[in-house]
Parts: sequence; structure tokens; C-alpha cells
Amino acid sequence: MAAGIHGRLIAVLQELRRIPDVLAVALARRDGLLIAHVLPKSMDPKRIAAMAASIVGTSEMAAGEMGLGPFFQSIVDSGSAKMLATGAGEEGILITIVRTDANMGLVLLSVGKAVQAVSNLLEEAAVEPEARA
Amino acid sequence: MLDDRLGGGFPRTSTLLLFSDKPTEKRVFAENFVVEGARHQETVLYVDFYRMPSLARAELSRFGRFPQDRLVFVDAISAQLMVESAEAYHVDRIDSLADTVDVIVRAIQEERPSRVVIDSMEFLSDRFPRDALLDQWRRIIAEAKAAGSVVCFLFINWTYQERDLGAIRALSDFVLEFQSSMRGGIVRNSMRISQMAEGGVRTNWIPYTFKDLIGVTVYFPRLMVTGPFNAGKSTVVKALCEKSVSIDRMGTTVAFDYGNVNITGIEAEIFGTPGQERFEFIFQIFAREVSGVLLVVDATRPEDFERAKHMLALIGPHIPYVVLANKSDLPGALKPEAVAGQMDLPDGTPVVATVATESKGVRDALLILAEMIIGVR
Repeated sequence: MAAGIHGRLIAVLQELRRIPDVLAVALARRDGLLIAHVLPKSMDPKRIAAMAASIVGTSEMAAGEMGLGPFFQSIVDSGSAKMLATGAGEEGILITIVRTDANMGLVLLSVGKAVQAVSNLLEEAAVEPEARA
Repeated sequence: MLDDRLGGGFPRTSTLLLFSDKPTEKRVFAENFVVEGARHQETVLYVDFYRMPSLARAELSRFGRFPQDRLVFVDAISAQLMVESAEAYHVDRIDSLADTVDVIVRAIQEERPSRVVIDSMEFLSDRFPRDALLDQWRRIIAEAKAAGSVVCFLFINWTYQERDLGAIRALSDFVLEFQSSMRGGIVRNSMRISQMAEGGVRTNWIPYTFKDLIGVTVYFPRLMVTGPFNAGKSTVVKALCEKSVSIDRMGTTVAFDYGNVNITGIEAEIFGTPGQERFEFIFQIFAREVSGVLLVVDATRPEDFERAKHMLALIGPHIPYVVLANKSDLPGALKPEAVAGQMDLPDGTPVVATVATESKGVRDALLILAEMIIGVR
């Protein structure tokens, strides 16, 4: 991945992190590897990336199995926060952790924008090595 | 498969005791037993103290088609309900032990059935004195032997002490004990077979299930397929199961593989784990109530063997396992003995050479594992 891409991905995550009620943001690959994150020290980013990949993988399969159409997002709704694992392009998963009483309209809108930005960047990164070859 | 281990099923002229100390689903086993007999065009006799034969026949249709005329009933219920019996053999005086057994004996003598089921002895043990009942019990066994029948007694023990139970077990050639347990709303049935003859085999507790039209099969609710990254675990699950689901992304399993195997007499749910360390949390979810493990290793990568042993330890101690030396067709693949040596496996641990991409050896490994779980290997 080109050096610049990583910085630009971090910038997208940080922008999302600035929304009120958003507690943490990370970006993982679909096979569970961490790409970038702005998580608090108390969370292990690698484990979270792997778990998010399992959740998205399982949710996507379940949606397919039940004929629910294309998969967009899994939400883990818990006591003090929600975790949104959103498909970001073919290869990415955007993990957003928000306060449980967050304004979900605003959150979903912002997550949608971030996902668009992330998938554009990932696509760009995927094309680059071929262009060099 | 069980039949093979007992030398081709229960030998003609033997006495089975289907026993439990609580109500369990052992009747389904007895029903399976008579239906199989009828399917082989043998005459089978069913002595029923609890159901009208018409109801019993309807319930037996769950097993699918079999020649109805091969199945003869001894009706021991009509007299209890004070209705006319439609059966050739029926007990008139249900309050007399001798009369009741007379009818059973007459049916055995006249029909010479290959299989007899008495459903069930606790009906008699609740009503009649112990010693008289044991005498009649012996009489039924003697008559069944004379007629060349396999006789199968269902018995729930409510009242008898261990000493009397011992006497009843001693009358039998095989004792099949049944257990049911419920955990999280799921009922698990299991049974254990003991051959009473000296040096006879005794199995472990065998989980079983019943399916309409198929009958009773051995059922393993959870077998795990695990091993290091890229050993071929998902391919093994695919090779074993007609239909399987793999939650994989970019060539690696991110959650689990799942499949259901159904081969003669065995049904199993197979769960494949991811191989990479970052997914180890999955083990905490799936490594519960595991009956056995297929440990897949890449026979060309001995450097991964330590990792394989670590993964086995994650699933838990004292679980039967078989090692699959996979990719055995590749150049440089270690032979099973060499894999066992390099992994420093305990003596006798089975190692099977497999080529999962061509389904080679995979099923053999499963059968070996099944035998280990059942305890006949």
C-alpha cells in the first residue's frame, strides 16, 4: 500500500471520530487483519479487527442464506455502547463504536460517508501495484 | 457401524436388556429393532403394555415402509381398558402374571419370531412380586432361546435394589443403558452397550438420535476440525459433507466452517475452526461439548506441528482425536509415522494420510474417530 494511502485512511477515521457520541473507529480487512485505527488504549485493535471480520463474515453468510439481499452492516447493541461493523468496499470493514444513546441518524449518515471515502481509497490502493507492474 | 463391532449385530438367540432408571427415549431403539427385522422379511413380535396395537402401528410408520404383516402384536392393553382386542394374541387377565406370560410364550412358540420386544417390564415389576416376576422373566428368555429369537426387554427400574438389578443384568447377554440429559433446551440421548459375557466389549456412552424414515443413528453433535493456517481444514469439512458453509474471506476462514455428515449409521455436525492465531477467540465459542477432533496438519510443513498441538490443547483435554497428515500427495510430504514422530504423539494416536482436495483418506479418519469416541477401538 502506498505510504500516502495509510495517512489518508487515518484522516477519514479521525474525521468520523470527531462526531459527538463516536467513541472509537477502526478499519479492518475482511480476513481480519487490521488496516488502521483510532481506538483507545484499553482496546486491543488486532483482536477487534479479527472479531469484526468474524461478525461481518457470519452476518453476510446469514443474510445470503436467508435471502435478505446484499449485506451492509452489523450492529452489536450492548449496555453502554453500540458497535457498527460496516462493509467498506470489497475488502474493508469499518468498525465504529458509539455511545448507546447516540443520535443514530447522524451516526449512520457519517458512517456512510466514511465508508464511501474508505472504499475509494482502498480501491485506489488495490489498483496501484498493477499500474506499477 | 455398531453392528460390525458386535460381530454383525446382536447374534440370533440372545437376550437384550434396554435399561434406564428414568424415562428415556429407548423405545425408539426397540422399535427400530423390530422394523429392521420386518424389513428383512422376518417375523417380529411386539408385546405392548402401553399402546393399542393400532396406535403402535401408526407410530411405527415414522420409520417408513416395512412389511406390516411381518409384525405381530401381543395386545396387553385392551384388557386394561376393558375393550375387545382385534389381535390374535391378547392378554385377557392382566391381573394374573402367569396368564399374561402364558400369552407371550404362546405367541413365541407359534410365531417363532426372530425378534421379540417386551414393552415393558416395569409394567409387571410394579404389579407383581419380585421373585415371581424373575421366574417368569427367565421363562420368557428360555422360550425365546428355544424359538431362536433375540428378545429385547425394556425396563425402567423404579423399585429394585442393586442386587436384584444385578440378577436381571446377569440374565441378559447384552445390556443397553440409556441416558437423557437436557442442557440449554436441547435433549441429548445417549446409550452404552455392555456385553455381559466374560471379556465382552463395553462401549462408551454413545450419543444417538432418531430421524423419521431413517431410524436410530449414532449422532455426534459436535466434531471439531482444527489445525494450523493453510493445512486444509475447510477442504476437509467440504470433503466430508455434502453441503457445507464456510465463512471465509480472501482464502482464510474468519469465523468457522460448518457441515453435516450423514454416512451409514452415523450423523455428525462438523465445525471447522480458523487456523490463524488472531481468530483464537472462536475456540471459546465452539470448543464446548466437543465429542472428538480431526486435527489437520500440512504434512509438508513440520514447522507448524507445535502450533497444531497448541490448537488441540485449546479445545480441551482428554478429547479423542485423529491426526490428518494432509497434502500427502505433495513432494516432501512426511509419512504418517514420521508425522507422529515429529509431533511426539502418544503411542497409538492414529495418523491418517489424506489428500483433502481429492477426498482421499478423509472419511477413513472420520470413521476411526467415531470408533474412538464410541470406545470400540
